[in-house]
Amino acid sequence: MNIRLARIDDLTGMQACNLQNLPENYTMRYYLYHALTWPQLSYVAEDHKGRIVGYILAKMEEDVGSDDEPHGHVTSISVLRSYRRLGLAKRLMIQSQEAMATIYRASYVSLHVRKSNRAALSLYKDTLGFTVKDIEKKYYADGEDAYAMRLSLKHLAR
Amino acid sequence: MAPSGTAAKRALPSKESGLFKEVLNLYETRQLKKGLKTADQVLKKFPEHGETLCMKGLILTHMGRREEGIELVKKGVRLDLTSHIVWHVFGLIQKGEKNYEEALKSYTQALKFDKENMNILRDAAHLQTQLRLFDGLVETRHTLLRLRPNLRQNWIGLAVAYHLNGSLREAKRVLEHYESTLKNIPDYDVEHSEVLLYHIRILEELGDYQEALNLLDVNAKSRAIIDRTAIMEFRARLLSKQGEHDNAEQTWQALIEQNPDSYEYYRGYFSNRGIDLDNITDNTREKALQSLRDFSSQLPRAAAPRRLALDVALGDDFKALAEPYLFSGLDKGIPSLFADIKSLYRNNDKQQVIASIVETIREQSAAQSPQPTTESEPPTTYLWTLYFLAQHYSHTSDYKRALSLLDEALGHTPTLPELLMYKARVLKRLGDPYGAARSMDEARVLDLQDRFLNTKCAKYRLRAGLEEEAQELLGLFTKKDAPSPGADLEDMQSLLFLTEDAGSHQRNGAYGLALKKYHAVQKVFNELEDDQYDFHGYSLRRFTLNIYMNLIPWEDRLRSHPAYVRSAIAASRIYVQLHDDPSLASRSSSLSGLSDAEKKAKKKAKKALQKVQEETKKAVATTSTNEDKGLEPGPPKDDDPTGSKLLEHAGALERAWKWLLPLVTLAEDNIDAQIAIYDVAIRRSKYLQAIKALKRAKILNATYPDLHVRLVDFRKRVSSLSQPPPEPIGSVVKAAVTELIPEEVSLETYNSQYVQHHSTSGKAILTSTKVLQILGSPVSEIESAAFGSLNPEVTLDIETALDIQELLQTIKSSRASEFRLACNKKFELSTVFKSPNELAELRRKAFATAVAEEEQRKQEEVS
Repeated sequence: MNIRLARIDDLTGMQACNLQNLPENYTMRYYLYHALTWPQLSYVAEDHKGRIVGYILAKMEEDVGSDDEPHGHVTSISVLRSYRRLGLAKRLMIQSQEAMATIYRASYVSLHVRKSNRAALSLYKDTLGFTVKDIEKKYYADGEDAYAMRLSLKHLAR
Repeated sequence: MAPSGTAAKRALPSKESGLFKEVLNLYETRQLKKGLKTADQVLKKFPEHGETLCMKGLILTHMGRREEGIELVKKGVRLDLTSHIVWHVFGLIQKGEKNYEEALKSYTQALKFDKENMNILRDAAHLQTQLRLFDGLVETRHTLLRLRPNLRQNWIGLAVAYHLNGSLREAKRVLEHYESTLKNIPDYDVEHSEVLLYHIRILEELGDYQEALNLLDVNAKSRAIIDRTAIMEFRARLLSKQGEHDNAEQTWQALIEQNPDSYEYYRGYFSNRGIDLDNITDNTREKALQSLRDFSSQLPRAAAPRRLALDVALGDDFKALAEPYLFSGLDKGIPSLFADIKSLYRNNDKQQVIASIVETIREQSAAQSPQPTTESEPPTTYLWTLYFLAQHYSHTSDYKRALSLLDEALGHTPTLPELLMYKARVLKRLGDPYGAARSMDEARVLDLQDRFLNTKCAKYRLRAGLEEEAQELLGLFTKKDAPSPGADLEDMQSLLFLTEDAGSHQRNGAYGLALKKYHAVQKVFNELEDDQYDFHGYSLRRFTLNIYMNLIPWEDRLRSHPAYVRSAIAASRIYVQLHDDPSLASRSSSLSGLSDAEKKAKKKAKKALQKVQEETKKAVATTSTNEDKGLEPGPPKDDDPTGSKLLEHAGALERAWKWLLPLVTLAEDNIDAQIAIYDVAIRRSKYLQAIKALKRAKILNATYPDLHVRLVDFRKRVSSLSQPPPEPIGSVVKAAVTELIPEEVSLETYNSQYVQHHSTSGKAILTSTKVLQILGSPVSEIESAAFGSLNPEVTLDIETALDIQELLQTIKSSRASEFRLACNKKFELSTVFKSPNELAELRRKAFATAVAEEEQRKQEEVS
């Protein structure tokens, strides 16, 4: 599958992919906000017909406290079930992290995951190397807790 | 109204004048409650003060008291026509309503009375961009820059305006000037980096490659540009264009190393070496293959070079590369393997080689793993091989073999959702939508946490017309506080759901509900178009100009999106049907009183309406709170829950045309769109439009069955006109008729010639049958033409057979059920040709079992 930087005309495909895969969904405005604020951070995987089969939607954290360092945040990442086991999530993540570290000097990247989502948790932990930093109570609209996870990007710093 | 002397009326005594200024400040900081109070203080003494009335109206609108607020604004405008404030406020209200044209008029009016107001100028610029009035935009941006040359974004704004207006040289000049004035740029300044990249992009668009390279190199070296990927991409492309192939090659290579799965980088690399990866010739094949082999060994984790090599290689080379590729994919259990290599099937030899490799792997792995997989062990190579072969045979239309392979695999491992998903797909193709939905459901219950399986299953239920059963499923993943699963998906702009749901209603004959869903699709696209508005200013503030310059053309082509095109065509077809036969509306809604879906829709709408009413009440009651509801009107109340208003006969064609208008330019290559345009245009007596669409369709595919019907329809309609259309259109129409169908041929002959030319095509037979119907041929003649589709030498697919069946029903043929029974026999695994009673039974059975199984499963999980 082709891995490349997300373009404007990918956003509808990313939105469709997200709606098909994940319970956390966003309107197009939010995708546009990501793309037009951090155009270098979101990536897509597309099949031979140009259909989006996986994506990472990423941003920089805007409100960084005085005791914190600049860091990236993965708003959403997913791959269609029929395109799993190709390592697409990892490939997407690597490209995005590289950009976070080199362009925005992010020292780590964070993300949230539902406590009950075992499949995603294992992807972030085992495949992508994230660790659980914290539990955020009632993070999701339906009252579920989230694991706040992190991955250091110090090794990518230049 | 007397505008003269308004200036005098505007002036307030110093106390009130102070209060008015306070109102402005309070509004700016959104202290709405206080603002309202203060405005009232002024109005107590000067109830006719236009500006204060406008401000009060604006504040009330923000507070959710919309109607009252707008009334006051309008009154305020009338009372003080030469105040820039009243026009500004009016413009804000219109902009909130997304009435951009009127808003711009108000802003222009406001600028007449306050030429240098920065806020108004900026808003006007955004409106001009939204309306694509680029000449005016350049002018406005000029004014802004003249007024505040020290603001960085005013320079950028002018450059972008020139760029949008097609004046690249001017844009370049502005950027050069801007850059020369900059001082003290901090390190790692992303914004500055983006501006420089934008400058380079303009140079590239101008064809000034050397200048672009120079600017790139200097600023990459000094680290003023910090986006490494962008630097390399520009560099590689520019060097290639400059003919510096050796340097370019190095950069392409570096890009590939950084992202070894980007197909674009490989294309760039090879194109720089004079090799077109998409059109390999015998001269380039060996060179390309060698490089791809090198990349594969240098980048062992990269998938792209291995896959690209399969496109390039032929014969023994292909076989040698395909064997490890396929084996490794099956061994790793990659579900997408078949989808990945399917495009190679365009080459027959490759297809055969692949089939034989995988058949061999099956034999070998069958010998190694005769035991069924247990739950603790992952599915074996053998299993994935069966899965692959099932897809292969299904692709070659050998559905029976595909099913038996899947059954074998399922006997081996009943817990792999992929097998059941594919079985569902095969059943769907075989014309068994219930069986397909049931199989998909079996897959779903194997992994209840997976929304992908849930979505697929719901889609299959919708395809089978199981509206409520689908909604139930979707509700497992939609927001619990949404009025309904469908409402959440609509809010989230799910085009998949909306188009599938519309299609389901359409197939069920609920045309009103179908149109409602199609209109929800239209609404999504309107939202996407409106979404750009805020970014006209935002992107300048953030300096994200490159992507912004891609946003604008994307918005201009938004409605070329397949979901829009499909919905436009489908909705216009319903409207055309409705126009031709107004009884469609009554049939749709009173078939059995109201359908269940319609009843539900009504109930839901009632609830939603109540909610809206309560909220309005609350808003009125709570003027005491400060909550800002913004200037956009809330969602309009749904006063047509079943879509019956959309089914009104009057205006049906105009509604259809509204859908199709964007397709005239955006779907020039879509023959179905052109035919839809013809259908509506000819009924609206827009002859030139109709002719243009027909001619366009004929260029796209002269023998397209649906076009044949329209050509006949066109001549018949024109010849039955009581008088020709007025000149000069009349002669154009006359010329078109003879151009499209030779004059000396009768339509009957023309039709029989067509079917003779395509005697083995089921679709052509359907088409000629339709034409006989148009020409008013006797029923027996239509029947015998229709039954011709059942001859063994004719290729007939299920969809076409269903259309023929429907046509026979429409003309009240006594042989309709004879045709149905024959199809039922011909398509032996299908269920769509069963009798209504049999279908009801199948439907009941399919879901009774699935539900029971799921219940059992849940209980097992609990215990």
